[in-house]
Amino acid sequence: MRAMLAWVTGMGVSWLLAPAALANGWNMPKGVTEISRDIYSLHMTIFWICVVIGVVVFAVMFYSLFRYRRSQGAKADNFHEHTTVEVLWTTIPLLILVGMALPATATLQRMYDPSGADLDVMVTGQQWRWHYEYMDEGVSFTSSMSTPTSQISGEEARGENYLLDVDNPLVLPVDQKVRFLLTSDDVIHSWWVPELAVKQDAVPGFVNENWVRIEEPGIYRGQCTELCGKDHAFMPVVVHAMEQDEYDEWLAERKAEAEAEANSVDREWEMDELMERGEQVYGSVCATCHQQDGSGSGQFPALAGNDQMLDDVDWHKDVVVNGVSGTPMAAFGGSLSAVEVAAVITYERNAWDNDTGDVVQPSEIQEMLE
Amino acid sequence: MAPKLPPQHPLEHSTATTAGQAHEHDDHHHYGGPGGIKRWLLTTNHKEIGSLYLIFSLSMFFIGGIFALVVRAELFQPGLQLVQPEFFNQMTTMHGLIMVFGAVMPAFVGLANWMIPLQVGAPDMALPRLNNFSFWLLPVAFGLLLSTLFMPGGAPNFGWTFYAPLSTDYGPPSTTFFIFSLHIAGISSILGAINIIATILNMRAPGMRMMDMPLFVWTWLITAFLLIAVMPVLAGVITMMLMDINFGTSFFDAGGGGDPVLFQHLFWFFGHPEVYIMILPAFGIVSAIVPTFARKPLFGYASMVYATASIAILSFLVWVHHMFVVGLPLAAELFFMYTTMLIAVPTGVKVFNWVTTLFRGSITFETPMLFSLAFIVMFTIGGFSGLMLAIVPADFQYHDTYFVVAHFHYVLVPGAIFAIIAGVYYWLPKWTGHYPDERLGRWHFWLSVIGVNLTFFPMHFSGLAGMPRRIPDYALQFADFNMVSSLGGFLFGASQLLFVAVLIKCVRGGEKAPAKAWEGAEDLEWSVPSPAPLHTFETPPDMTSQAPQRH
Amino acid sequence: MWNVVKSVLAAFFGVQKERRRQEDFTHGEPIKFIVVGILLAAVLVILIAMIALTAAG
Repeated sequence: MRAMLAWVTGMGVSWLLAPAALANGWNMPKGVTEISRDIYSLHMTIFWICVVIGVVVFAVMFYSLFRYRRSQGAKADNFHEHTTVEVLWTTIPLLILVGMALPATATLQRMYDPSGADLDVMVTGQQWRWHYEYMDEGVSFTSSMSTPTSQISGEEARGENYLLDVDNPLVLPVDQKVRFLLTSDDVIHSWWVPELAVKQDAVPGFVNENWVRIEEPGIYRGQCTELCGKDHAFMPVVVHAMEQDEYDEWLAERKAEAEAEANSVDREWEMDELMERGEQVYGSVCATCHQQDGSGSGQFPALAGNDQMLDDVDWHKDVVVNGVSGTPMAAFGGSLSAVEVAAVITYERNAWDNDTGDVVQPSEIQEMLE
Repeated sequence: MAPKLPPQHPLEHSTATTAGQAHEHDDHHHYGGPGGIKRWLLTTNHKEIGSLYLIFSLSMFFIGGIFALVVRAELFQPGLQLVQPEFFNQMTTMHGLIMVFGAVMPAFVGLANWMIPLQVGAPDMALPRLNNFSFWLLPVAFGLLLSTLFMPGGAPNFGWTFYAPLSTDYGPPSTTFFIFSLHIAGISSILGAINIIATILNMRAPGMRMMDMPLFVWTWLITAFLLIAVMPVLAGVITMMLMDINFGTSFFDAGGGGDPVLFQHLFWFFGHPEVYIMILPAFGIVSAIVPTFARKPLFGYASMVYATASIAILSFLVWVHHMFVVGLPLAAELFFMYTTMLIAVPTGVKVFNWVTTLFRGSITFETPMLFSLAFIVMFTIGGFSGLMLAIVPADFQYHDTYFVVAHFHYVLVPGAIFAIIAGVYYWLPKWTGHYPDERLGRWHFWLSVIGVNLTFFPMHFSGLAGMPRRIPDYALQFADFNMVSSLGGFLFGASQLLFVAVLIKCVRGGEKAPAKAWEGAEDLEWSVPSPAPLHTFETPPDMTSQAPQRH
Repeated sequence: MWNVVKSVLAAFFGVQKERRRQEDFTHGEPIKFIVVGILLAAVLVILIAMIALTAAG
């Protein structure tokens, strides 16, 4: 019986502590959008309803356990039904549920209205990075985790944003309705940023819609939430929300870069330029599978000293542009620019003692893409 | 529905002429079947097959538990220390598959085998040879499944929900073996379910009406119908996977005109009723134990039956709540939110009924009762988080985080598994003739309760704070929660060794139990001697003269 | 027939007077209850679907 009392006390204490803990940053974030705050309040409402019901039910239960112990001479009654009570405890929960369904429905209706968007962003999941395309702006880039493997293995101290840092965050303006169009190139991923209360699956072959209107500038971090293979844990989402003028500036810069790159497709590139660019692209896109040092891992072939690749440059180009069906090797012709593809192929053919001296020009790739 | 007379026991025993328990006692001596290993391979006796199921399930529970501990050990702190992500994913997948299909389901079938004939006054299951076949399919299925761990490319690594196209175009070569083993396990479940339905509908003792059956029998009857309804859907969906992988179809491959979301619809049309398959018999067990130790009839027997049926029917109407973020029209989200919320009503009724059964009882706290009481409390906590998950906008934040992991582990571990353990403690005196060691039982109980809550309660917080499920490494803000969860996991795992100790001790000896081992126990199984002889109720007990037990 | 509907509705709700239940179980034909049960389940589904469709606009 002492144990029993200990349990009751324990339960009581944890019930008392739970709300305190919730107030201490262990809870769902309130977030920085109107919708995220609505969701937070739905969450807290249903939580407190559960707490109240729980307290009542468990109070009756533990009172009965305590009061009607046989060791204290309790004699069993024999009643086994009571229509009024049964009707009550069916009706009251029904009413509570209806009361809960109404605000939930209203919030959902608002979430499902993507009309009047100021900006469209195409979000494409790829094993294991995100690709963002600002529709109608001609700006697109991939966003991969930038946490170094040495932090994962523990050789280096883990940074503050361990596993939640990317090379190119998604930049968005505040106070604008941003519509996301989500899809995937391979398996199902899910794009989630808790502070924005946006979680939406990216399904290959389908385009899903969601939207956000961020109210405060800041950096918001999230992760892929649908198991998508080995590096599912290493596929963070980072959103950098900026004031409109700052965003415009950023966009203009990216646009200029994109245009410069588009114009440079036809010119002859130097080996050094391509190697520099290629190393960057390789680190962001290829290294998760083929490893930074090109040594490969598991089902992902090594690129360093890969004879098939080194002997046949056309095959190499074809694999990078069109992918290999039936394997995780994706077709990068769609998500990388001609310059990026040319650079990464050049890099792969010359890095890690591969030293073929081959230079693949963006114009060759451009031809393949057309 | 007038109960038919049960048929005579089909095999070696046609000697049921000298009815009565004195005769039954002798059965051990003129057991005529083969001896040794053959006896177990060929047995058609429901008690022996029940024991086989239970032993099998316990070993799977430990294997699945070891996989879980590998997961928890890796998650003990941030970084990758013990295993690589590829292997981690195999562990989460195999843990889920083994626990669901290898541990929980066979445990309930084992209890059904042992107890349903005893509770309805039947001499055996209706189809004893089929019974043998359904059991022996299981070691084959799970032997095959476990062997994938040693195959090139490793075991399945796509989660126990095996969403396409991760499991089809991107799955390891062993996926085909996984499909085959699931087919075999599925056949075993369907055959088991047919057997249980046939037994309950045809072999009740004369005078025992449907509404006289113990709730364990009722919940199993409904569960068996669920199994027959949904296992073929699972078989269908894995066959479609098989075709996609090996025969060039593209049911789930968008590139070939297929639909990956179709996979999820089919999977969860099976998967949601499957969830109830794992909890309804638990309701039945708790509904037997609580009245026994409160020495008071179950409150609202009829409403318990209705509530079980409602939950079973509603289980076919809620599957989309597993896929609220997959991108569905508003009307679909609303429909499935409303139906999901409705399930809270019959589930609540059950909890209220158990609590009211305790009210004004005469309560003692033997081990089975302790586990049942813990079941009521912690299953209710799991129910609350389930209700929270039903609210679609909130689910957008909870979905695929540790909050969900906390939720379903609360309903499955201190839910289904505690009920199974409670049932084992409750019926052990009937099986072995000895009471389980009460002291060890209490230790087992308290360590399990502490372990389970340490493991799963912090997961609510890590989930709300934003930790996705199925990740081998995590951001630093989740570190404390995970450390506590891992410690709790090891405590829970280790305390199950006590359970094995109790079982061994109880089989070997202990305080002798009379036929009616628990003072407040009323059902038919307590009218046969303890230990129950190999053959019972060869002459059906006559229930017509008995005063209706429940009303 | 009305009595059957009433009993099925009571079962949906989960509460019924013991006396009526005894009556149903001694006099009623099971098939009637099963058919009415399936029909009413369909009605329930349609009803919830209508509410959802209306709310979705």
